[in-house]
Order: sequence, then C-alpha cells, then structure tokens
Amino acid sequence: MPTVHYIEANGASHAIDVPLGENVMRGALYNNVDGIVGECGGGLSCATCHCYVDDAWTARVGGPASKDEEELLEGTASETKPNSRLSCQIVISEALDGLVVHLPESQY
Amino acid sequence: MAVDAANPVPPTYPRRAGMDQVPPHIPQELIRSVGITFSPEFLEAPHAFMADLHDKQPPLFYDVSMMGNSWQALKHADALFILRHPDIFTNEGATPFPRDPDDYYYFIPQEIDPPHHRKYRNIVDPVFSPQGVLKLEAKIRKLANDLIDSFIDNGECEFAEEYGRPLPVMVFLDIMGLPQDMRDTFVSWAMDLLHSNSREIMGETMVKITAYLKSAIADKKAHPDDGVVSLIAHAAPGGVPLSDKEVFGFVAFLFIAGLDTVFATMNNMWLYLAENPDKVAEMIADPDNINAQVEELLRVWSVTFSGRVLTQDFELRGVQLKKDDRITCILPACNFDPEVFPNPREVDFHRPRQTVLAFTVGPHSCMGAHLARLEIKIGLQEWLKRIPKFAVKPGTHTEYRPGGVVGPEAVPLVW
Repeated sequence: MPTVHYIEANGASHAIDVPLGENVMRGALYNNVDGIVGECGGGLSCATCHCYVDDAWTARVGGPASKDEEELLEGTASETKPNSRLSCQIVISEALDGLVVHLPESQY
Repeated sequence: MAVDAANPVPPTYPRRAGMDQVPPHIPQELIRSVGITFSPEFLEAPHAFMADLHDKQPPLFYDVSMMGNSWQALKHADALFILRHPDIFTNEGATPFPRDPDDYYYFIPQEIDPPHHRKYRNIVDPVFSPQGVLKLEAKIRKLANDLIDSFIDNGECEFAEEYGRPLPVMVFLDIMGLPQDMRDTFVSWAMDLLHSNSREIMGETMVKITAYLKSAIADKKAHPDDGVVSLIAHAAPGGVPLSDKEVFGFVAFLFIAGLDTVFATMNNMWLYLAENPDKVAEMIADPDNINAQVEELLRVWSVTFSGRVLTQDFELRGVQLKKDDRITCILPACNFDPEVFPNPREVDFHRPRQTVLAFTVGPHSCMGAHLARLEIKIGLQEWLKRIPKFAVKPGTHTEYRPGGVVGPEAVPLVW
C-alpha cells in the first residue's frame, strides 16, 4: 500500500498507508491526522482539505484537477501557493508511493 | 461535555417555547415572532421570505414560537463559525424529534460531537463518499428513465408523487436494504414527523418508526445483506461491536434524514424551472456546466436548518448568548447573504464556487450530500433530455408544507 507523509504546520509528521484509489484527504481523516478537516467529504464544496504538495512531488501530482478545485483554492483559509491542492482531489496511485504533503496552519 | 453513546440520557437543556419563556438575558429589541416554517407569510413563498429576512430583521435575532424559542442566525459567516465550533455550539440534544425518556437513544452521528463522531462516520462514509455513490449512477439513471416512461405520454404528471419522491426514496431504500413496498408508509411517517408541527403527532410517529426499525435491525442481524442497515448492525469499529442503542440511533437517524430532504429539494427546483423556461434553455444549451447548475439550484432551493445549543456563554456579532440557549442557522437564508453571493436572488450558473450551505458545514456536514447531488444531477439530465419544455399546470396555487424541510405539497406539471 502506498505511503503518504503528512507534515503538519507544527512539524509533526505522520506516515500513513493509504489504499490505492483512495484520496489523500480520506487517508488523513481515517487516521486522525488533524491538519485536514475535509468536512464536505470530497464533494468540492468546502475547501477544508487544503494541502501543499512537497516541491519534489508537484510534477507527479500536478495542478488542480478541475475549475471547481481551482476556484475553491482561491478561498482557502491559509495562503494559496502554487503547490496548493485540495487533498480530496489527489487520488493515490503506485506512482504516488512516498508522497509528501504539508498541511496548512488552519483549514478555516 | 461529550455524551456516552452506549448509555444515552435525555438532555437537560431547558425546552423553551412561547413568550412567557423568554429568559431575562434576551435583549427586548432582538425578540421577534416571525413564524419561520409555519406562518402564512412564510408558507406563501418560503425562500423569498427567508431571503427577505436580510432586509427586514437583524442578522441575529431571538425568535419566539410555540415550536420552540431560539436564536436565529442569518449571516453566512456566522453559520460557518457556529457550525464549525461544536465545542461552543453543540449538537448534543439539539435534534427536535421526541423520544421515550425511558428508552432514550441518540441520533447518530448527528447528536455526537467530535471526537467520537468520526468513529460512526467512518462506518458509512465509503458508501456515501463521492466514489461510493458513483457506483449507483447507472441504476439511478435507469430508474429516472423508468419513471419518466410511466408518465411521459400523458403530457402531464404530479411531479412530487411521480418523480421527485420515488426517485430519491427508492434509491435510498435500496442503499439501506429496506423494502420498496413500504415506501409510501415510510414517506407518510416522514411527513408526520417533519411536517405535522405537532409534538403529539411527532411523538406518536416516532413510536411507529421505532417499532418498525427495531424489527428491521433484528432481521438484518440474523440475515446480513449488503445494505447500510445490515452494515451498521454488524459494525465493530476498533473491534468493538456497536451497542443496540448505537445501532438503533444510527439507523433511525439515517431513516429520518434520508426520506424527505432530496425530494423536497427536487420539488422546489422543478417548480422553479417550470416557471423559468429561459433557465431551462440555458441548462440544455450548456450540459457540461451541470455541476455548477446543480450547485446554484441547491443554493437558492435549500430546504433545511441547523440547530445547536450553547455549551457556554458566548458573544456573537455583539450579542451576548448564554449557556443552554438554542440557536438555529437558517441555512436557506444564509445562502442569500448578499455579502457572499452578490445579487443573491439571481440564479447565475456561472458564479464563482463558494461554500453553499445546502448540506451544512462542520463535522455534521451532510453525509448524504454526494448522493443528493448525484440524484439531482441525473434527475435533471434525464428529465431535460426527454421533457425539455414543461410548465406548471394552469390554475395551480402552490402550497408549501410547514415544518423543518421546506418544499411544496404538490408540483403539477404539463408539457
């Protein structure tokens, strides 16, 4: 199972095995990683699963998957950066084994 | 204070109803009796009534009624704050459905705040996640077409009875693993519980629902299947099986929440579209924008409210709220907040994406939201393909149901 490294704003790091086909948001929710809220459950309506993809991974992860994601990213509570993504929109594949995401200070 | 879901006890919050039960700390100038959900003015055009509240009432006021006294929050920002701070605004004991104090249970996960809340959501989230509900797409599409087949040649239908209700309710019963032939009985229970505006009828109905669901759960325990009732009956998060009270409260909550809301929403939407052929034409001309169209229709046709209880004294928008006060976020009004949605009454399928409060926010954000969006989307797509021009039957006077899920009694359409 691919491993995702979630690094919270305070530096705390969690290595979580996330099943193929699951997304980065739910990997956090199911394993008590607090820095991701994901309150709408992946419906592209809340922007509370904001993450920053580590620079080493941005090419493989890519940018926003849709116009909806792009628009929601404009309204996140923490600063939007070029490597900002909504973690519910990052689906785990073999190619993302070892992915590192940094979590913002606040989701709202 | 976190509740113990396996050992439920009735809440101790005072239930205040009527002018003689307004606590002394409520400022006189903020007391209203606007009749949300039941006054003739509300029932004439509920969504316009709620949009108007922004012009006619303070953003936070104290409403007094025989159904219960409560603060009412109109601002989108306040709703986000309230709903995202369950430590201050709890859902424990805030659900209005009466229960037998000697056989008490919590509605799960609705009445369970974090951190225990997640334990229950994790059991059913895979079924109700965006990916989970997508598995139902073909089935929903077929059902939509079967229903349309049954009335399209008539040139008319009573939308609520023939499409708006059966589509989501049949899908829901399938997911739950409950029998389709009980559909109309279930719906009549939901009507009595949510729309009677009578504590007595609500209580009698809960007795019927309780008896039925207890036997359904016993049956699923003996004969597991792949429905959600069975899933919950056999759930053992962290290796610990749920107690009988937890199983019952979870199933009862989904049952009540799942029956009425989507069809009220669809009734509202189709009534609007029947009266606005230009919007229908715009939707048909731009099928790739269907997700934004659904979201915008959800914004202006939301049907529910979110009630909470104060766990502590708290000042909001310059108003002193006190521990044990109740507060209701009027979600449909929040969706007309001009500070967040400019020209809020205008239906604009190209609005920048914002948090629409149709499904509330915070930990208690609606778990059925993805299913509801999918049903509405498919319901619209198949309908518009086959019945692109339709109107409200001439001579119809639309009446709205009183109660906490806002929608019309009937939507007679012709084409």
